[in-house]
Amino acid sequence: MQYHTPPSFEEASRIAASASGTTRFLAGGTDVLVQLRSDLVTPDDLIDVKHIPGVKEIARQEDGGWRIGVAVAGAEMTEHPDLGRDWPGIVEGMDLIGSTQIQGRATLVGNLCNGSPAADGVPALVAAGASVTVTGPNGARDVAVADIPTGPGKTCLEKGEVISALNIPARGENGGDAYLRFIPRTEMDIAVVGCAVNLRVDGDTITEARVVLGAVAPTIRAVQACADALIGTTLDDAALEALDKAARAACEPIDDKRGTVEFRTDVAGVLARRAAKIAYARAKGEQS
Amino acid sequence: MVQVHLWSGLRPLVDGREVVEVEGETVGQLLDNLVKDYPGLKPAIDKGVSISVDGQIIPKSRGVKVKDSSEVFLLQRLYAG
Amino acid sequence: MALDGPKQDFKYIGTRPERPDGWDKVTGKARFGADFSMPGMLHGAILRSPHAHAKIIKIDATKALALKGVKAVVTRADFPEGLEGEDWNIQENVMAGEKALYDGHAVAAVAATSQLIARDALKLIEVEYEVLPHVTDVDKAMAEDAPVIREGAADYSVPEGMHPNVVRYMESGRGDLEKGFAEADLVIEESFTTEAAHQGYIEPHACVANLGADGKGDLWCCTQGHWFVRQMCTAVLGLEATQLRVTPSEIGGGFGGKTTVFIDPVALALSRKAGRPVKLVMSRSEVLRATGPTASASMDIKMGMTKEGKITAASGTFRMQGGAFPGAPVDVTTMLAFANYDIEHVHHVGYDVMTNRPKQAAYRAPGAPMGAFATESVLDELCRGLGLDPIETRLKNAVKEGTPATFGPKFPPVGLIETLEEARAHPNYSVKLGPNQGRGVASGYWMNWGGETSASVAIGDDGSVQVSIGTVDIGGSRASMALMAAEAFGIPYENVRVSIADTGSLGINEPTHGSRATFASGLAIIEASREATRKLCQRAADKWGIDADAVTWEDGCAKPSGPNAGEFDPLTIAEIAAEMGSTGGPISGHHESTPDGFGGSFGTHVVDVEVDPETGRTTILRYLVVQDAGKAIHPAYVEGQFQGGAVQGIGWTLNEEYIYGEDGRLQNPIFLDYRVPVASDLPMIDTVIVEVPNPGHPYGVRGVGETGITPPLPAIANAVRDAIGVRMKKLPLTPPRVLAAIKARD
Ligand SMILES: Cc1cc2nc3c(=O)[nH]c(=O)nc-3n(C[C@H](O)[C@H](O)[C@H](O)COP(=O)(O)OP(=O)(O)OC[C@H]3O[C@@H](n4cnc5c(N)ncnc54)[C@H](O)[C@@H]3O)c2cc1C
Repeated sequence: MQYHTPPSFEEASRIAASASGTTRFLAGGTDVLVQLRSDLVTPDDLIDVKHIPGVKEIARQEDGGWRIGVAVAGAEMTEHPDLGRDWPGIVEGMDLIGSTQIQGRATLVGNLCNGSPAADGVPALVAAGASVTVTGPNGARDVAVADIPTGPGKTCLEKGEVISALNIPARGENGGDAYLRFIPRTEMDIAVVGCAVNLRVDGDTITEARVVLGAVAPTIRAVQACADALIGTTLDDAALEALDKAARAACEPIDDKRGTVEFRTDVAGVLARRAAKIAYARAKGEQS
Repeated sequence: MVQVHLWSGLRPLVDGREVVEVEGETVGQLLDNLVKDYPGLKPAIDKGVSISVDGQIIPKSRGVKVKDSSEVFLLQRLYAG
Repeated sequence: MALDGPKQDFKYIGTRPERPDGWDKVTGKARFGADFSMPGMLHGAILRSPHAHAKIIKIDATKALALKGVKAVVTRADFPEGLEGEDWNIQENVMAGEKALYDGHAVAAVAATSQLIARDALKLIEVEYEVLPHVTDVDKAMAEDAPVIREGAADYSVPEGMHPNVVRYMESGRGDLEKGFAEADLVIEESFTTEAAHQGYIEPHACVANLGADGKGDLWCCTQGHWFVRQMCTAVLGLEATQLRVTPSEIGGGFGGKTTVFIDPVALALSRKAGRPVKLVMSRSEVLRATGPTASASMDIKMGMTKEGKITAASGTFRMQGGAFPGAPVDVTTMLAFANYDIEHVHHVGYDVMTNRPKQAAYRAPGAPMGAFATESVLDELCRGLGLDPIETRLKNAVKEGTPATFGPKFPPVGLIETLEEARAHPNYSVKLGPNQGRGVASGYWMNWGGETSASVAIGDDGSVQVSIGTVDIGGSRASMALMAAEAFGIPYENVRVSIADTGSLGINEPTHGSRATFASGLAIIEASREATRKLCQRAADKWGIDADAVTWEDGCAKPSGPNAGEFDPLTIAEIAAEMGSTGGPISGHHESTPDGFGGSFGTHVVDVEVDPETGRTTILRYLVVQDAGKAIHPAYVEGQFQGGAVQGIGWTLNEEYIYGEDGRLQNPIFLDYRVPVASDLPMIDTVIVEVPNPGHPYGVRGVGETGITPPLPAIANAVRDAIGVRMKKLPLTPPRVLAAIKARD
């Protein structure tokens, strides 16, 4: 195994492009090192991105959006004074990952690129309309977070491509987001169902909404029917019921040791309702 | 003679008796005489049993004294956890 | 053994000093199993069967042996033949013979110069299997068409006509069930199941073995009992007992699962073959797949009660599987199922059944929690059906000194009633519950254990005391041992040092199991200390020129026993010790016995839960453990045992389970999916220590380690029943199961 510490994303991309065996980027390592130690994946080339300048920064952009470095750990996001005020759902999704120890290492980009349909950091990013900057042999391009995962453990990144930044849009007025997941315990578990809701209100009425479900299909799933159930409503009982129904209808889960099809479907509806209520209260400034 | 109470799984081995009488002043003598007087009990006793004397469970000690008036039960062999 | 009756007034006993091993453990200085290494040491790895049941046609290690760095490969052919009984079972379990009997069963092992090479070498060993039909469920394993795990494994007790997988049968009871049930105003009959749960110790099994061709060897390992390890390893390898010296490391939990061996004989065999020391450390998935969880159970219970709350009759059938070997703890399950209560008509039937699962190992009160789950659930239903309070009803039926136990003999002094009264008086029992909340009560029993014990004390030349015991310190027992020695010598706790001796340094000691260490090693230390103080008195008597009978030992000093003995200033232990070389030589004390006076411990738990009606998730809101400790030597560590038992019970009840796929392979061999409770799942566990002295111990001690896991399963299930209005009869109470029950109710 070769261990690399490239000084730039261009160099990281070059190493990855010319590597012949299994390649992994090393951010927090909380997936990569675990897979290595349990003999699941032993990379031939391990490319550590933490030595590239700027990867630890959380920067407010001119338009009010955010640029998050690819090595920013969960704890650094949670402790940031402003990020969580804009995007509490994104921060709480990331904060659910692992334990205090894991929070000191794990990154959002790692969570995304690991490609798990149950990744806790990703639904709120998709609901927020976030994108990533990808640096590759042919230069840099921006890709919607929603388009990165293509199946369990798979992403659309080509050989030699590395994510060089995470971009979160400006929050804007009267918006709120939230993420909830269901696990049997209180931590150290994989989401049986996850749900992020991001919405905007005008007075009491919801004007924009995105609802994203995790762990109920091969990839994280943005559900337009759920959004439609919310838009134009004041989140009354009828809207919640319609949301619940749309969320269940969008589920194509598997039956496994972590949950049955029936259970996952039921809980998707429950979490959608609960997350929508929190996001709505946040959008109205009634809850932080 | 000491009255020894048997658990019901043992009763078929001694013609259905719930209680058998044997001589003995110690746990060890009781066990030896049980095998001698009631050969049907041999496989069970060979496999290992515990005995209780006046409420105290004796997993092993053969030297514990027994009186004719003692309350004695044969118990399934016990293990520690 | 003649004892003077438990002592009551104490100076050190009952205080809460820091544990002597605490600093080393929190600073990382303590050495656990995997922390040991030796010059020239090789690393071992074990190849495990991917099949639940398969004939081993051929094992070819040629390619593995050709890999650079590989020094030895062993298979069953490297172990002696002709073993019988449990020795054979252990040998067969640590290295498969003709058949692989479960997913994870060891089939070969490698020793190499590095861990990585050893693991690579495993991939080069070619094993040809003929896959056989398998069975992992206890009820299916008893069915007529079930595949046979092994012919001829049944013992004398199994009636004719049963499936060969049924290897032991028990039946016990008394009275006339029909009459008893006829006297009842309400009779309830229900069936229950529990899944296998693993002990879940944090430290995986680890050892370093060094065995020469001359049959002399050393083994350093993580174990609850190194003499058991010595006995098992020497039997499995055909060695002479005392030629193998076993030294225990510090231990990161055992809970019964480290009273047997899994990797130690394999490491010894590799070492013997390679001619070098070999280290073997299990991974977590090896621990879950190939060490012993507890048994799983399928049970039918019938109980009757009068409207006043008197139990009139009870019967239970208990079917338990303990993996591919005899040994499911069904004897204890049957014996203790109804042991809390005074019942005239009672009957138990038990089956020990083999399946294609790992060989079960002891787990904290082995066998008792499953039975308690079923019987205390039915008792709760009876109370509900008749509108009775669960604690009052238990008090009405509770056993006390002189009550004939459901398993036969009359009880010696026991503390069930006291625990129920304390539970009833505790503020937790009267907290008002909100919506979706429920309260559950259950009691449980464990009879504890004595076991072979040998311990020594030796006086240092400054008057401090060295205690050597043979029971490893799992839950802070060094502190308790030091307190008992301090009490017996009348010297400060800090002046006592407790070491765990290796198998070469003391007589045989059974493991730290059966809740026996504080009881049995403690008793031995008190007796050994008394022997030493008699010698100290003799030295003082010699010095004063008086009779030893005229000297007493008090507060760390020899004193003339009365005015007639003469006028002498007391001699401190330090003063006598300073001169001991010239007054007759070193002073020590020793005691060995297999004490029988262990007293059982009853406990009562009260738990409040809240169940999310939309997801079926259960949160433990409050948890109270009340238990009889006889005498709490170190109350903080007694409370720790109570809390630990409750927490393991919470795990077993809510989320922990062995999940086998259709292919017979374990689906969840990692802590991610084998869900033990994490700290944030738990409230602070409240504790109340009841002290009903045990007449069989000089200070009144009862073991406390195991009882605590017996009531949680039913207590929590009863609380969930209270919250959701549905009786859950299958453990664990996972959210999908609870939600399905709620939906079926509505
Ligand atoms: C104990 C424990 C608990 C956990 N709990 C949770 C949980 O609750 N929820 C959850 O969702 N996950 C959980 N995880 C998984 C893991 O912590 C997360 O997925 C984490 O976010 C991964 O981030 P990382 O920085 O550690 O990634 P790494 O392990 O460093 O990398 C993960 C993947 O991302 C790729 N990658 C990393 N950086 C880049 C880049 N810049 N460009 C392209 N590819 C890249 C790597 O090649 C690799 O495939 C847990 C893990 C552990 C060990």
